[in-house]
Amino acid sequence: MSKFVREELMVNGVSTVVHSAGSGDPLVFFHGGGTVDGFEFAEAWTDRFKVIVPYHPGFGESGDDPTFTDIHDYVLHYLELFDMLKIDTLRLAGISMGGYIAARFAIEHGQRVRKLVLIAPYGLNVPEHPTLDLIATPGEQIVPMLVSNFEVLKKNLPEKPDMDFIGARYREATTFARLFWEHPFDPKFPRHLYRIKMPAMIVWGQEDKIIPVGQVRHWKEKIPHAEVLVVPDAGHIAYLDKPETLDTIARFLK
Amino acid sequence: MGAGIRFNVMHFMPYVHLPENHKDYKTTWVNFPNKFYDPEKGYELYQQYFDQLILADRLGFDAIVLNEHHNTVYSMMATPNVVAATLIAQTRNARICVWGVPPNFMLPNRLAEEYAILDVMSKGRLEIAFPLGTGMEYWSYPVSPVTAREKFKESLKIMLQAWTADGPTTHYGNFYTYRFLNPWPRPYQKPHPPCYIVGSGSPETIELAAELGLGYSSVFVPQKTAQDLNQRLRERAAHYGHTIRPEQLPLLNFVYVAETEEEAEREYIIHLQRFFEDYARSSPQWLAPPGYLSVEQLKIRSAGADKLHGGFDFKAISNSFFIAVGTPEKVANLIGEWTQRMGTNHINSVMHVADMPHWKAVKNMTLFAEQVMPKLRTAGGAR
Repeated sequence: MSKFVREELMVNGVSTVVHSAGSGDPLVFFHGGGTVDGFEFAEAWTDRFKVIVPYHPGFGESGDDPTFTDIHDYVLHYLELFDMLKIDTLRLAGISMGGYIAARFAIEHGQRVRKLVLIAPYGLNVPEHPTLDLIATPGEQIVPMLVSNFEVLKKNLPEKPDMDFIGARYREATTFARLFWEHPFDPKFPRHLYRIKMPAMIVWGQEDKIIPVGQVRHWKEKIPHAEVLVVPDAGHIAYLDKPETLDTIARFLK
Repeated sequence: MGAGIRFNVMHFMPYVHLPENHKDYKTTWVNFPNKFYDPEKGYELYQQYFDQLILADRLGFDAIVLNEHHNTVYSMMATPNVVAATLIAQTRNARICVWGVPPNFMLPNRLAEEYAILDVMSKGRLEIAFPLGTGMEYWSYPVSPVTAREKFKESLKIMLQAWTADGPTTHYGNFYTYRFLNPWPRPYQKPHPPCYIVGSGSPETIELAAELGLGYSSVFVPQKTAQDLNQRLRERAAHYGHTIRPEQLPLLNFVYVAETEEEAEREYIIHLQRFFEDYARSSPQWLAPPGYLSVEQLKIRSAGADKLHGGFDFKAISNSFFIAVGTPEKVANLIGEWTQRMGTNHINSVMHVADMPHWKAVKNMTLFAEQVMPKLRTAGGAR
């Protein structure tokens, strides 16, 4: 039985579902561009933090808002959500697209972010270590590529995808395409990363097939003070392949 | 054209020379390698296809229909207005229908200009359809399928404004800004050439046609669905104060005429099979890029697609879609029955499919013009 408590808030007209558990200072986790991987892993943090996992608009249990056309719309959404939840300062972690949102949030509202963890973040265009084209690659091919050991993800997936599952994936792909179909990368993004001044950690699975680990060097160049944790034998969602990663992250965040 | 039924010849101008190993490729669209396109063979095909369409004009067909597709063997008309300009110069009577350029892939004023030029050049023989563009087109163009419907609607509004309001006018929209919308020339036909919307049955598209009072042609949907769509358009258009006339409902169909039914089937079926299995071979991913459909429509179409993928069955396909293959009598009877059932008098026939050789296309059109059209001209269609 999950320890997480579900709460639904209206954030400027968008139904936003937040799952939270644990006690302590708030730690917010931003999921990536799909939600098949779930958030149960975050239980590992609940002994040290109040862990808060919101579903982004257009994903999972949250509602849709077709006016969200840019990642910055998510930054503004979370500013409002944090105000509503009376979260002043927070630890912020995000994976993949969630890492991109977290980095953008930290660039613009650094005074609220005490520590930042970016796990295989999306957002840099690195031609020599290209990000897999998540729009052109069929979803059924992407899912097995998310981890090194597919068994760790399989329990979250239906044996045979039904229409509801297919529809839910199509909806999330639509939200992702709304943000990234025409402009997968914002060329102005890298020049603002210098504003990340709080303690930061960059985590990357050595075997990441979605966003290659080679990109870690480019993030480190822009955020020189960041700690880097490369996880051997782990894929894009490194903490599913190697759950001990979660403890390393928690110790950094403490 | 006069009273009675109107007959179009629609052509896809396919690139027919598939490589031996083409079945190794899941689809013949979007990412099917263009190294397989040989321009010398392309030249010869254009000669044949232009001959066929010029013949259609001489045989008395009322219209020639062109359309646009990208990254595929299915069509050599990536820019149909170029083809239309050539046909205008070589035909006399047939209306030239560009059905059409997806407005999302052009600046709307530019498209309004091109169509106006074609209309003036042809002394008012142009007809236009506005397709959203298939999913495959969006994979091939740098345009987001997620906002495609909104953008499409705004484009249509701009084009209709460009043709109907004296310029310069302005437009400040979500996708386009015009400080001086003032295209020269203006269309020959007033207020503008006949316009249709083509689609595969999305409720959003029907609603737009109804709102604007435009014609609508469903393509590649089963007969029963097509009938429901026509009915829905009439009802929704009435809601907006428009009356849909029979000629605004072109009925897409596949026709082959020969001296006997056996001969028709022997000469035709293999090409129709190759059309569905090879030249139109797509995939669920290509057909529905993210955001192209609503989640609801995606579920409906995924369920439908499961039923279709049982291999080629001529009898089943003939019963499901509008396909008439046989003697002039049989074809005339079928078409007559369709016009009544669908409430149309506008027959839009594909008479060359896939790798059909030139002689069959010529025979088909000739027999149709000489032995089918006269029977139906006197009978007339729905009014």
